[in-house]
Amino acid sequence: MSTQRFKVKALSWAPYIEPVSVETASEEQLAAMQVTPSNTKVSPYVRTLAHDPESYVARTKLFNAIMYAKGGLDRAERELGALVASAVNRCVYCASVHARRYIELSGRSDVVEAIYLKGLDGPFEPRVQAIVDFCRSLSETPSRVTKDQAQALLDQGMSKAEIVDLIHAAAIFGWANRLMHTLGHSTPVETK
Amino acid sequence: MSDQIDILSGLEPASELYGIRRERPDFVQGTEICREAVLRPHAGFGITHSMRTALAARMARMVGLGELASTYEALLEDEGNALLAAIAAGDDLPSTADRFTIALVRHADLVTKSPRDCTRADIERLEEAGLTNPQIIALSELIAFVNFEARVIAGLKVLEEIA
Repeated sequence: MSTQRFKVKALSWAPYIEPVSVETASEEQLAAMQVTPSNTKVSPYVRTLAHDPESYVARTKLFNAIMYAKGGLDRAERELGALVASAVNRCVYCASVHARRYIELSGRSDVVEAIYLKGLDGPFEPRVQAIVDFCRSLSETPSRVTKDQAQALLDQGMSKAEIVDLIHAAAIFGWANRLMHTLGHSTPVETK
Repeated sequence: MSDQIDILSGLEPASELYGIRRERPDFVQGTEICREAVLRPHAGFGITHSMRTALAARMARMVGLGELASTYEALLEDEGNALLAAIAAGDDLPSTADRFTIALVRHADLVTKSPRDCTRADIERLEEAGLTNPQIIALSELIAFVNFEARVIAGLKVLEEIA
């Protein structure tokens, strides 16, 4: 039997509007675009959002805090929350990025395979199921998330502080998906 | 000090979750900095603070967070403005509404309700209604912020209710 691991393809992203050009950017836009960790090459996504540098800078700081803050919820499970939100919102680009990060951090290509091939219904093992159900409700219609869904996370040993981290991870992808999926589209990675 | 998220999530200063939020100051303060950036930005690109607030109320209502909607509605300073009132209330727009405003509202409704259905044509509609690129981004960030905030509140609220 082959035990080939499920792989998610890397994608590129192209905006529907003309992004800011580094050559003609304002000082504020240039300063904003340097917020990213590697600033040698500014991605089309960053240059698109740099049309409004104030909101871009504020959101980037919040995003990094939520996804990378030390302590609290395991980073892999934050990525799973991001993946579930992206699956609900059909943000193919975000899903591919965060599916791959989740696999890198957790090794759980089986969970990603199930989500990609069968969707969010499961069944998954109890802890994954609890995360998927909670983040799915929150992403679909926030007012429909239930106490039982939060209780299921506690029952799986997640602390309240960790659940607060999970809420933020799913919520910040309610934000990111609403940019990435509406302002542009994923494209295959260009190979030379 | 309690902020809008605490109040609307039902977190009292004595509650465990209130304390847990304070252990993540970057989340708490970062959210408030984002709120300023999308609702009361320095550069509004011609989308007024009142219009942004009215749209926020509308979107909060659409996702089922009535109290969040009321909070935004109460911030509307221009109370006599029937157009803003209709937007905030989630009503259909009056027939006198201009196409720029119609486009803002249509996009906020669509991206709040079903972002998955958004296509290039929806961005082109904004361009046809006269929105500039900075306005398209500013609108998108506003829509996304309110959707983020609504989810944080809804999640904290159910967690707090467990006691």
